[in-house]
Amino acid sequence: MMRSLLTLLAALMIWAVPAMAQQGGPLRLEITEGVIEPMPVAVPDFVADTPAAQELARNIARVIAADLTGTGLFREIPAAAHISRITSFESPVQFSDWRAINAQALVTGAVNVDGAGRVIARFRIHDVFAGQELGQGQQLVGDRDGWRRIAHKVADQVYARITGEGGYFDSRVVFVSESGPKDQRAKRLAIMDYDGANVQFLTDESSIVIAPRFSPTGDRVLYTSYETGFPHIYLLDVTSMGRRALPTLEGTMAFAPRFSPDGRTVLYSLSQGGNTDLYSMDILSGASTRLTTAPSIETAPSYSPDGRQIVFESDRSGTPQLYVMDAGGGEARRISFGAGRYGTPVWSPRGDLVAFTKQSKGRFHIGVMRVDGSEERLLTASFLDEGPTWAPNGRVIMFTRETQGAQGEARLYSVDITGRNLRQVATPGGASDPSWGPLQN
Amino acid sequence: MAISAEDYAAILAASTAPEAVASIDTPAPPAPGENAPALASGADTAPAQSQPAANAAPPPDPVPSPPEPVSAPAEVADTAPEVAPPAEDMAVLLPQVSPRPQPRPAPRVAPEPVAPSEPDVRVDDVARPEVAPDAGAVVEETPQEATAPEEAATEIVTEAERPRDPAPTASPRPRARPAAARPAPAPTPAPPTETATAPRPETPRDTPPATDRSAVSDALAAALGQGTPTPERPAGPPLTAGEKDALRVAVQRCWNVGSLSSEALATTVVVTVRMFETSKPDISSIRMLSHSGGSATAAQQAYEAARRAIIRCGNDGFSLPPEKFGQWRDIEMTFNPERMRIK
Repeated sequence: MMRSLLTLLAALMIWAVPAMAQQGGPLRLEITEGVIEPMPVAVPDFVADTPAAQELARNIARVIAADLTGTGLFREIPAAAHISRITSFESPVQFSDWRAINAQALVTGAVNVDGAGRVIARFRIHDVFAGQELGQGQQLVGDRDGWRRIAHKVADQVYARITGEGGYFDSRVVFVSESGPKDQRAKRLAIMDYDGANVQFLTDESSIVIAPRFSPTGDRVLYTSYETGFPHIYLLDVTSMGRRALPTLEGTMAFAPRFSPDGRTVLYSLSQGGNTDLYSMDILSGASTRLTTAPSIETAPSYSPDGRQIVFESDRSGTPQLYVMDAGGGEARRISFGAGRYGTPVWSPRGDLVAFTKQSKGRFHIGVMRVDGSEERLLTASFLDEGPTWAPNGRVIMFTRETQGAQGEARLYSVDITGRNLRQVATPGGASDPSWGPLQN
Repeated sequence: MAISAEDYAAILAASTAPEAVASIDTPAPPAPGENAPALASGADTAPAQSQPAANAAPPPDPVPSPPEPVSAPAEVADTAPEVAPPAEDMAVLLPQVSPRPQPRPAPRVAPEPVAPSEPDVRVDDVARPEVAPDAGAVVEETPQEATAPEEAATEIVTEAERPRDPAPTASPRPRARPAAARPAPAPTPAPPTETATAPRPETPRDTPPATDRSAVSDALAAALGQGTPTPERPAGPPLTAGEKDALRVAVQRCWNVGSLSSEALATTVVVTVRMFETSKPDISSIRMLSHSGGSATAAQQAYEAARRAIIRCGNDGFSLPPEKFGQWRDIEMTFNPERMRIK
C-alpha cells in the first residue's frame, strides 16, 4: 500500500513539475478586433403563478422580447428552438440547454395577479455562458391595465444590465398625427408609448398644430398652434388636458419652443418686423428675455443638458448653419461647416452630441456631430428626413420621414446613433414632429 | 503715357518670340529693315534626325474586332445596339455612371469581410466542404455538413453612406447616332444569410478534473515544505507568433461588442484565465485584473463581454500546442475596444 502511494506521489511530481513552470509570467495577448452583432437572447414565456395570469405572462414576455430586439442590439432565439422549458421561477436554470442554442442571455420571470387585481411580475437575468445570474432578481407591481409598462420596465432593466446604459422603453412620444390629403391635411397632437402603443389624441383637428415638445418631467407639452391665424405657443398639461397660451407681443409670431432642463424656462423664436430672434421666457412670470439681436433668422434653439448653453440654427453666414452660445446670449460660435444647409439641432441628453437635419444635394439627412462640430456623421438619407428627437438614453433618434409625391405621407422612424437599425415606428396613420419624453416614474 | 507703333510692335514681338528671354540681355533691337542675319534662321527647317521615322507611314491599323456584346460598356459601339433609335424628342433614361456594387448588407461587423454563404450551410468558424456518404463505396470519413463563416462586413454603413439606387436621375436627349451600348446589368446584391437558425451542436461543458493540477502541485509543495511552487524551468519552447495569433483570432471571433454602451466601448479590461490541458478555459478562474478608460460599471460590462468571448470560443478548446502547455496555462488577455468604436 505504502509502495503504491509513493509510486503515485512520484508520478504526480513528474507530471506536476512542468505544469508549474511558466517562465516570464502568463502568456499575454491583446485583443483589439471583435465583432459587432446582436446578442442572442432567450425570453421564454413567463411562468403564470395563477391561471388568471397566463395570458399576461405570455404577453409580458413578448413585449420584453420586442423591446430588446427593437434596439438592434439583441436577437431573440425563437421559442421553437428552446430545449429547456421554464416551468418554475424558482427552479435552477439548465444552462447547458441554453448554451446549446447559443443563447448568451436568458430572461426568466413569473407573473401573478393578486386579489386586488394588481399584477406582480418577478424576473431574473442570466448570463448563460458564465452560468450565473446577472444582478439580483427583481419584482414589479402595477395595475392590470398597465401590464405593458411592467414589460417595458423589465426590458429597461435587462437592457441596462447587459449594455451598461439606461433603457428607454418605458417612455412616451408626443407627435403630430396627420390625416387627409396632402393639400388639406388635418393635424392634431397625439401621445403614445415609444413603440406606438396606447395612442391618445390631445387636441382636435380644428386648427393646425406643429412642433410639440415634452417637458423634462413628461407632464407638460409645449406646442405651436395657428388657431388665431398667427403661430402662438401653448402649454398643455398632459394629465388634466388644461392649456394656456404663453404671453407674446401683439403682431408677433412665436414658434419653435423648447423647455429648459429644469422645466422653468422656455426658449423660443419670435418673428417681429421681418426679423426672427431667440428669446427665453420664465414660464411662471411670463417675462421674456431677448437672446440674439442679429438681423438674420435665428431659430430652433435647444438647451444643453446642463442648461448652460444653447445650440440653434442661424443663416447669419448666408446659409442655415448651427451655432452654440451661452444660455444667456452673447457671442455665438459656428459648429457646422459641411456643404449643405443645417437645421433643427437638438442637444443629446448625454451632452456629447448634437443631432440635426441636413439638406445637401437634393437629399435630406439626419445626422449627429460632436458639440464642437467635429465627427459629423450622417445616419439617414431620403427625400425628406427632418426633426430629430433623442431617446432618454441618448442612444436612439426618432425623426419624421416624408415620402415624395401627391400621395406622399409623413411617418416616424428611429435609428441608432451608429446608423444601424433604421425602423419605422408604428403609428395609426401619418405622423410627424416627434418629441421623445423622459423615462416614466 | 502713349507709345509709338514701333515700340508696340517691338513689345509684341518680344512677348511672342520664343527667344524673348534670351534677348533681355541684348542691346536695343535693330531697326526694321536693317540687316537681320537672324532672319535667315527663319527658314531653318527641323533637322531630319529630329523626326525619326516621321515620314514612314505606319501600316494601317487592323480593323478592330467588335467587342463582345456583354463586355464592359463602351462609349462607342462598333455595331449598332439592338435598341431601336428613339424618336427625336423622346427622352431616354440612361444611367449617368455605371452603378457601383452595393455594399454588403451583412449586419455583422467583423475584422475580415465574409461573403454570404449558401442558405443551407451551417455557420461555423471555418469553411468545410460537405462530406456525404457515397453510395456503394466504403465510407471511412464521418459525414459532415458543409460549414462556412458567418457573413460579415468590416464596418457599419449608414443609410446616408450607402450608394444611391442606380436609377437614373436625368433623362438626356439621345445622341445623333446611337452610341451608348446597353448598360451592364447592375450587380444584384445577394440576400443576407440568415445567421441565427443553426444552433451549434452541444458540447458538454467541461468540469474541472477531480484532481486539479495546481492543487496537486500545491499539496506536493506544502508536503515538501516548499510553500507556493515557483517556476523552475520552461515547459516546452515559447509559443510562436503564429500560435499566438491563432489564439487571438479565436477569441476575437467571439468578442461581440455590439451590445455594449458607448462608455464600455471606451473601456479596456485585462482579463486572466487559467487553462486546462485540454486547451479549454477554466471558467471559474476568469477574473478581471484591471481596467482603464471607464467607470466601474462600464468595466463590468466590458469584462462580461470579454468573459463571454473566452467561454464561448473556448467551449470546444482553443488550438494550442499541448507540448507547450506550460507556456499557456495562465493567459492574460487585454481587450482593447478602441478600434471597434470607429467601425
